[in-house]
Amino acid sequence: MRIVIAEDNVLLREGLVLLVTSDGHEVVAVAGTGPDVLPALMEHRPDVAVLDVRLPPGFRDEGLRAAIEARRALPGLPVLVLSQYVEETYAAELLAGGAGGIGYLLKDRVSRVDEFLDALERVAAGGTALDPEVVSQLMTARRDPLQALTPREREVLSLMAQGLDNATIATTLVITERSVSKHIGAVFLKLGLPPSDSGHRRVLAVLAYLNS
Amino acid sequence: MRPVTQCSTVIREAELRQVLKRSGEATVFLVGNLRTALPALAGAILLPLAAFLSLLLVSLPWLPEAVRPMRALANTERIRSGRILGREIPVPYPPPRGTSFEQGVRLMRSPSTWRDAAWMAGHGFGGLVAAILAVSLWPSIVVALSMPLWWWAAPEGAPAAIITVDSWPKALTMPFVQAGLNGAVLWWGVPALARFQPRFAEMLLRPTRRTSLTERVERLSATRAEALEAHGAELRRIERDLHDGTQAQLVSVALRLGLADRRFDADPAAARALFLDARDGIEEALVQLRTVIRAIYPPILSDRGLPGALRTLTAGLPIPVEMDVADDARDVPAAVEAAAYFVVAEALTNIAKHSGATRAEVSVRRAEARLRIRVRDDGKGGADLTRGSGLAGIGRRVAALDGVTEIDSPDGEGTTLDVDLPCGS
Repeated sequence: MRIVIAEDNVLLREGLVLLVTSDGHEVVAVAGTGPDVLPALMEHRPDVAVLDVRLPPGFRDEGLRAAIEARRALPGLPVLVLSQYVEETYAAELLAGGAGGIGYLLKDRVSRVDEFLDALERVAAGGTALDPEVVSQLMTARRDPLQALTPREREVLSLMAQGLDNATIATTLVITERSVSKHIGAVFLKLGLPPSDSGHRRVLAVLAYLNS
Repeated sequence: MRPVTQCSTVIREAELRQVLKRSGEATVFLVGNLRTALPALAGAILLPLAAFLSLLLVSLPWLPEAVRPMRALANTERIRSGRILGREIPVPYPPPRGTSFEQGVRLMRSPSTWRDAAWMAGHGFGGLVAAILAVSLWPSIVVALSMPLWWWAAPEGAPAAIITVDSWPKALTMPFVQAGLNGAVLWWGVPALARFQPRFAEMLLRPTRRTSLTERVERLSATRAEALEAHGAELRRIERDLHDGTQAQLVSVALRLGLADRRFDADPAAARALFLDARDGIEEALVQLRTVIRAIYPPILSDRGLPGALRTLTAGLPIPVEMDVADDARDVPAAVEAAAYFVVAEALTNIAKHSGATRAEVSVRRAEARLRIRVRDDGKGGADLTRGSGLAGIGRRVAALDGVTEIDSPDGEGTTLDVDLPCGS
């Protein structure tokens, strides 16, 4: 894949480049400041962009704004946003466009190299990768209606909200794909959601429910 | 000529009626004054006793209790006289601080205590004398004017009008002189007394420039000391969190990596397990570090400013929150920003956890050099600043910035938290 990386910290930037190139991807451009991000994306049209939320010169949320702007200019451009801390409001803003290809993860997740690269590929393919911490924040807020779910169903819901597909959920929980489908069916029934195929639409439905 | 005379008679009648009305109203006012003057008189009589007792150090802790009724009386008078004067008489008392002994010492040293006492004595004695004078002048005029009719019939000892009336010449002159004098006092003196009374109250009951400055300086140095104390405690807490948490965690990670390096050739599987352990340790350290950073200055504040950051707080709550944040609340110092964010976050967490409320309202307003925060809910009430670590934490954090926290939480009627933070200009 062709990747653009925006990260101002040199150590982290080199680490990210090393990480993705070791997996056979190509870094076509790196940006170190907020204003550099959009031109780089417009010029290279990468398969996926990896952006840090906080960038110079303002050290506020330039990366996030650049991501939203870039997706307005190039609809569906896959963007993985990384941050030192997660904020569910930011996730909501990123997902507000409705199109797939969105990732929002804590920077810490790079330590799980395989999971991180999986998430990157999922986003590039138009899927979703939402940090477990964002999902758990959302699930805490909706504690009451989620009481109706069994603990296993809550686990499945959480992984589903993170953007994982049935096969990955099955491997993560060490159960069969068939029982994953069964749990998902039960979750949708109990929460009163219309049944939905796997993929980004399902994630959006779940997140819309959790965020309402 | 006739109409003119008539006309002047009419004028005189009208004048007379007006004078009578003015003097009458002044008399009624001075009598009404007794409502505060009589308690003041009682207080003034007890003053020497109170002064003597407060000289004994043992009774100092009870001084605040003793001063309370005096202050209540003075406050009543402030409102009453302020209304007559058409301008507010400000209350000069600073909020009580410290142990009851310290409060006693502060009261002894506060000029407002002594000025209140002086007012109480002056108002008590003066008010009583003025009321008696005003009331007795009216019948005394009638008595004087009618004296020529009955003086000769008076039994033992002739009646007196300035001098003893014991002959017709005297009886036909002196009573009228006396009535005229009394009338003059009633005409000018009594209304003047009525006008003087609220001015006298204002003079002694308003804060002097010196008291307000002294008390402000005293309050500022106390809150500054508290702020330094709070700041010191905060630094120590951060140091401890980093030292015992993150730093220790990183040392253990380094140790595991060192061990993994030694075992790498001989036992790759064991080395790998150590690598994974090290990774877990680093992830744990990152989580701790995030918590520490959030407590120092929530990152969302740098990203979004206070209004944006406050709006994100409502996202994780199970009840609807109406968030009304003025845009000019953005330009406040970082310390005030952090405190305001902490106050609202803590208050909303409390509401979600304990209040049983179905909805809440947050309003943040900038009023000149102050930031006013109000958090209101419709829950079960009964919240208390001194109980519950959440509210106490809010109080401490606000006090450290010389702010004021107030809570109004009657049982069953919801809770209103008001926080007022000074934020420069």
